[in-house]
Amino acid sequence: MKEHIRTLLEDLLPLVDLDSDFLFAELDSLGVTTIMMVLSNEYDINLDARDATPRNLRSLDSIVEMVNRKIAEKP
Amino acid sequence: MMESLEQYLRHHAETMPGKIAVQAHDAAITYRQLWNDVTAEAEAISRDPRRAIVLKADRGWRFIGSYLATHLAGKVVVPVEKDIPDDKFKAIDKLVNTVGMDARVSDVLFTTGTTGKQKGTMISQQVILADADNLINAQGFSPELLFIITGPLNHIGSLSKIWPSIIVGATIYVMDGIKDPDAFFSVIENSPVKVATFQVPASLRILLQLGHDRLAALAHKIDFIETGAAPISQSDMEAMCRLLPDTRLYNTYASTETGIIATHNFNDGHCVAGCLGTVMKNSVLEINPDGFIECAGPTVMLGYCGDPEETARILIDGRIVTRDKGTIDDCGRLQLSGRDDDVINVGGFKVNPIEVEDVAMDIPAIADCICIAAPHPVLGWALRLLYQVENGCQLDNKSIARHMASKLERYKVPHLYTRVDKINRTYNGKLDRKSYRE
Repeated sequence: MKEHIRTLLEDLLPLVDLDSDFLFAELDSLGVTTIMMVLSNEYDINLDARDATPRNLRSLDSIVEMVNRKIAEKP
Repeated sequence: MMESLEQYLRHHAETMPGKIAVQAHDAAITYRQLWNDVTAEAEAISRDPRRAIVLKADRGWRFIGSYLATHLAGKVVVPVEKDIPDDKFKAIDKLVNTVGMDARVSDVLFTTGTTGKQKGTMISQQVILADADNLINAQGFSPELLFIITGPLNHIGSLSKIWPSIIVGATIYVMDGIKDPDAFFSVIENSPVKVATFQVPASLRILLQLGHDRLAALAHKIDFIETGAAPISQSDMEAMCRLLPDTRLYNTYASTETGIIATHNFNDGHCVAGCLGTVMKNSVLEINPDGFIECAGPTVMLGYCGDPEETARILIDGRIVTRDKGTIDDCGRLQLSGRDDDVINVGGFKVNPIEVEDVAMDIPAIADCICIAAPHPVLGWALRLLYQVENGCQLDNKSIARHMASKLERYKVPHLYTRVDKINRTYNGKLDRKSYRE
């Protein structure tokens, strides 16, 4: 899943270092929204403002954790 | 009416010293503290031999103190992008401190030029006070208001909200964008008074996308929201009206050159995209015979710094002739219909494609390129760079993006890159921009 998310985001966020452990600091509001929209559509999960936190977007690994958690919570 | 923002600040420091003037997640500064900070900083700035002080808009609420202190020291303040490349910063510093400037100039705000070169728009305290007065009268700024500024403070959209807030004695809350929308909503939730904010259409779309339910739940706390700087879609306007039925929602016509001219509350029964309302108290607006908007009055700029030719081209007999096209409806409301130049509006920031192309062409492996507008689900329009690679050269999108970011402000760096075999040019060799328009 991690590599798939990386591929999805790479072209849309060409300036962002997706391997950074300080990913949230590299993002602007458009970057955050792009990630949330792309992942919502790709995994059919509901991501909103409460999910767009520095903790969830700290690194690619934490994004994967968030997606897995949301998938598990799906009815 | 007082003669400067700083006089209002001093007055509030004396009459309501304990009122919070500026707030952020890590600070709450009273009017008394702000005045003390501003006077101390002004004393230090006054010893600087330069006439104009270039300030990066990168220190959150501290920028506001430095901005006011620079005025108080009798200097010209030149706010610039927080991520401005060093060579551009130095060039601006050199320009504003070598050319002669009218004694009335208080601020120089850099905007996108039609030739690909940035222009320094000179404004005075009179312009600031007239713009602020327009906003106070038309939108209802009051002392019992928390105004949330999330945008860049070198841009007139956000900078101009400091002015009425200080004049009426409101509280300004400074946030660095809305990339943490939860934090933005928490500020509204925790505010003891009603809030207002300015958001470009792209930011409103982000809030609608990520915070639809939160926005609806906080409707009773939001006094008004202003948008502007780029067209907002009819569907987003209608969604905002549904979520916030009792909130005033303004769409405003303004530019650095003209000042703040007209505004329309699209939540009052006339919700039509492109409608920018009636002209404000201190402004004059007319449509010339060619259909272009012309503006006059005390909100218009003094001219472009060090560029009398360009000033004479756009500022004629005290009237700014814009490249915006519009009409006036039967109720006297301005209806914007488009723009007549190659400037691309990216989420409220105007970008001249020539500037982007010039930087891309510095890359030796690029044989030719064109920067075009591409539809984008959040921004409305984004920049796409189409590029042709020199024979035998290798080049990837990431390297191009990194080169662009090292030479340009972030909002001018294209989001999208496409390698093509050939760039369309007209018979006389000019870039054929029309052939790429969607």
